[in-house]
Amino acid sequence: MLPSMLFFLSAILLAPFFAALILKVKAFFAGKKGPPLLIQYYTLIKLFQKGSVYSTSTTFIFKLGPVLSFCCALSALMFLPVAGRPALFAFRGDVILVLYLLALGRFFTIAAAMDTASPFQGMGAAREAYFPIICEAAMFLILILLYVLTSNLQIKAFFQGGQPLLLWHKAGSPLMFVVIALFIILLTENARVPVDDPATHLELTMIHEVMVLDHSGPDLAFIELGSFCKLFFYAGLVARLVWPFETGVPALDLLLFFLALLAVYVAVGVMESVMARYRMDKVPKFVLTSFALAFFAVIVTLELAK
Amino acid sequence: MVELIALIPFITGPMAFFLPRSAGRLLLILTGAVHLLLSLLLWTYRPLPMLSAYFALTDVGLLSLLVISLLFFLISFYTRDYLKKSGIHFENVFCGSMLLFLGTMTLVTLADHLMVMWIAIEATTLASAPLIYTHRTAEALEATWKYVLVCSVGIALALLGSVLITIAMDVGRVDVPVSVSALTGEAGNLDPLWLKIGFVFILVGYGTKMGLAPMHTWLPDAHSEAPSPASALLSGVLLNCAYLGIFRTHKIMTAAGLGAFSGRILMVFGLISILAAATFIVKQNEYKRLLAYSSIENMGIIAFGTGIGGLGAYGALICLIHHSLIKSALFLTSGNILLNYGSRLLKDITALVRRMPGTFLAFCGGFAGISGFPPFGLFIGKVMIIMGAFRGGHYVAVGIFMASLSVIFAGFANHTLKIFFMKSAAEPLPRETAGMLLPQYLLLLTSLILCCWMPEGLSQTIRNAASVITPGGF
Amino acid sequence: MNYIDTLLSLVLLSILFSFGSSRLPVLIRVIGFQGVVVSGLPLFIGNDHSLGGMAFSLITILIRGLVIPLCIYLIIRRVAIRREVAPIFGHHASMLAWLGLIAAAAFIGNKFTLPVATQNVLLMPTAIALVSGGLFLLMGHRNAIAMVLGYIMMENGIYLVGTTFSSRTHHIVEFGILLDVLAGVMIMAIILQNIKQTFDDVDTDLLQTLKE
Repeated sequence: MLPSMLFFLSAILLAPFFAALILKVKAFFAGKKGPPLLIQYYTLIKLFQKGSVYSTSTTFIFKLGPVLSFCCALSALMFLPVAGRPALFAFRGDVILVLYLLALGRFFTIAAAMDTASPFQGMGAAREAYFPIICEAAMFLILILLYVLTSNLQIKAFFQGGQPLLLWHKAGSPLMFVVIALFIILLTENARVPVDDPATHLELTMIHEVMVLDHSGPDLAFIELGSFCKLFFYAGLVARLVWPFETGVPALDLLLFFLALLAVYVAVGVMESVMARYRMDKVPKFVLTSFALAFFAVIVTLELAK
Repeated sequence: MVELIALIPFITGPMAFFLPRSAGRLLLILTGAVHLLLSLLLWTYRPLPMLSAYFALTDVGLLSLLVISLLFFLISFYTRDYLKKSGIHFENVFCGSMLLFLGTMTLVTLADHLMVMWIAIEATTLASAPLIYTHRTAEALEATWKYVLVCSVGIALALLGSVLITIAMDVGRVDVPVSVSALTGEAGNLDPLWLKIGFVFILVGYGTKMGLAPMHTWLPDAHSEAPSPASALLSGVLLNCAYLGIFRTHKIMTAAGLGAFSGRILMVFGLISILAAATFIVKQNEYKRLLAYSSIENMGIIAFGTGIGGLGAYGALICLIHHSLIKSALFLTSGNILLNYGSRLLKDITALVRRMPGTFLAFCGGFAGISGFPPFGLFIGKVMIIMGAFRGGHYVAVGIFMASLSVIFAGFANHTLKIFFMKSAAEPLPRETAGMLLPQYLLLLTSLILCCWMPEGLSQTIRNAASVITPGGF
Repeated sequence: MNYIDTLLSLVLLSILFSFGSSRLPVLIRVIGFQGVVVSGLPLFIGNDHSLGGMAFSLITILIRGLVIPLCIYLIIRRVAIRREVAPIFGHHASMLAWLGLIAAAAFIGNKFTLPVATQNVLLMPTAIALVSGGLFLLMGHRNAIAMVLGYIMMENGIYLVGTTFSSRTHHIVEFGILLDVLAGVMIMAIILQNIKQTFDDVDTDLLQTLKE
């Protein structure tokens, strides 16, 4: 229990660091020096020291949103087997719970955004509600696939210990597509390029950013930290699939896991540097690709399972 | 010797691309003559082919070969005069493609190997595409594009069907060459499911080429845009070649005891084609398209008769021969009309009887023949098909069949009578040359003679051919 | 999961690309890739390892993977046609069609008893998907070049059925088929060029003067 607790805490603590890594990679591609790697910590500390400003037109929902979405992200993280070690919690069917915890967090973000009664925020909320629907479908297809392979519905059975390697052995090529699909889901859920641009300055083109425009101080800090955790969660899953091997030496395993994690974050950074954001009507096409890939992987796996 | 007959056009064809005009025309006639001579020799002596794994002389193949030779020979005469008058720009391409077309069609009649037959049939498409594009107009281009694409895709399905038949061999553990004759002998051991699927694909594939509805869309366009000698060849013999592919597969099916299955499908496609032709003939406004739809109708009749088997199959083969003779005569005649009137529209053609009496005679004879009037052979064929259908107990089908034929006849008669006798103040046109009339007369005469008196060898061959696609023998 | 199935699943995926993409060069690359895989497969799963068989496979790879795509590519270059082609069906519809196609192909592919007790479960579904995917591409485009590419994809699928499930045909016959296909594509290319010259585009909507 204690090691799991430690891993959980380290995940929260490291999440901002990795997020800053993306900024660094983007700066490198732009030929700039970029912010320091600890920039996100500075930002968070700065925000927590400030006070919050609330518009008179908002209600308690607006105040509730950031905290709740942060809590949801934290709770989801409790189920992540960091570096393949047992997670803080694990029970049968926990995958479903995790998926809906993340959805709940999104719901409260959206609710808070709607509460401001600003048209731009409503627009962002609509987009935020639309794209993850496709993601969710893809996610469930991936679950079906993993269930077919392991006949189990626990995160533990998919991502813990030597399980990922077993999955690769059972169905190599479908899993390849799953990794790509998961990566697309990661980009969509965490509002990264090419779905959304976290650095954009125009409300019209925003999805996620526009919804948090009205938040300030500690509220904004919660939102930021929550989104770092969420990104860490998805990246952790992808990293386990990308580097499924176990050496047997715990310290080395840990190091290799973080290297894989690093690779995933760098991949996100590279993606953001070399690609432009899609036009809004092209985004569903991109997201739908993940659904198609997952569907395809399921079909192939069902074929192979015969 | 057997391979030689296919080889000659393949040699003279490329030559024609580089020869001057007059020599090219002469080469056409010469090749036609040699080809006719060789096919008569083949008919008489029936030698064994050298590459016996791929080629064989079969009854129906010889029958088609003879028709092809005769038609090509007569058409080549017509072509000489036609080319003189029409002033086609790329004449050497036309002549060369005609010869290559002849060669590929000869290959189809000789082929025994399923894949070789496919290669030959696809090659006919490729060789005849330049013929359709002869006039270099936008419409001709459109017709060529449709022809090549629709036929290629259709024939690709036939290739899939042929491949599926080889799978039927593998499943049934039949170890013989993939030739029609060998497969007919071992048909009982083939896997029925794969064989059935294979047949359906082959029927759809070659049916596209044969002009069975609803895959016929390319046919009226190609026939109306091609120059008349080419239309005559397309309608007269190319459709027969595609039919050969279906006939041979149906033969395997019959030998495998699945003749009832394939026969029923053939009947359905035949009836659909006849019905489709009836709809389009009645409201037609171009005479070459009218003839093209009549070809679809006749292909439907042939498919219907083949599906019935027995007497119907015999009738279908008779129809096959006579349709080639009469329809090519009609298309050649339409060439005369087009050259003199300069219009493809039915409403522009008036008072044919007064303005072009010679052409009128040919057209009138052809019309009588294609409608199934007694002195011509199609009459016998149709009667036999109807009798066969009654014997087989297909009362509903034969009812639809006869009703559609009546509609087609009425529509056809309506159009032609207007062409013949509608009053017009225009002067008689210049006298037609003999070279552009005699071939038609000869073709119609052949049909007449074959109706009244058929040589014993010929009728025996037709009987043999019909018996192989009749479940339980003829 | 072996590498042949991996290759085949990549082929299946390439069909998705061809459905989703509206750029002709992408389509051509997809066709070329499929051609290479499809004609190279007999080297791995066939029982014919003779020198002639190898040489034939190499020639097939060359023609299907290189010559035919190059032929189409040259035509695009020559007539400088717009590289973007709009499919009749929208992106989402195409995607759904692809999914349905794959599912149906997998379903049908399992219905049949195959002669060879093959280890590669994806062979039959891939072949079916290629043939029907080619047909879909053919029907789903107004652009004539995309239609030709659909035809080639269909041919690839048929070739896959032919070479992997039955070892019956002789190489000489297969070569004849290959030549026919090649000649067909070339003739289509010539017609395309003429269409471009006559109509100034290769949109088949322009080819509608002949109809009842």
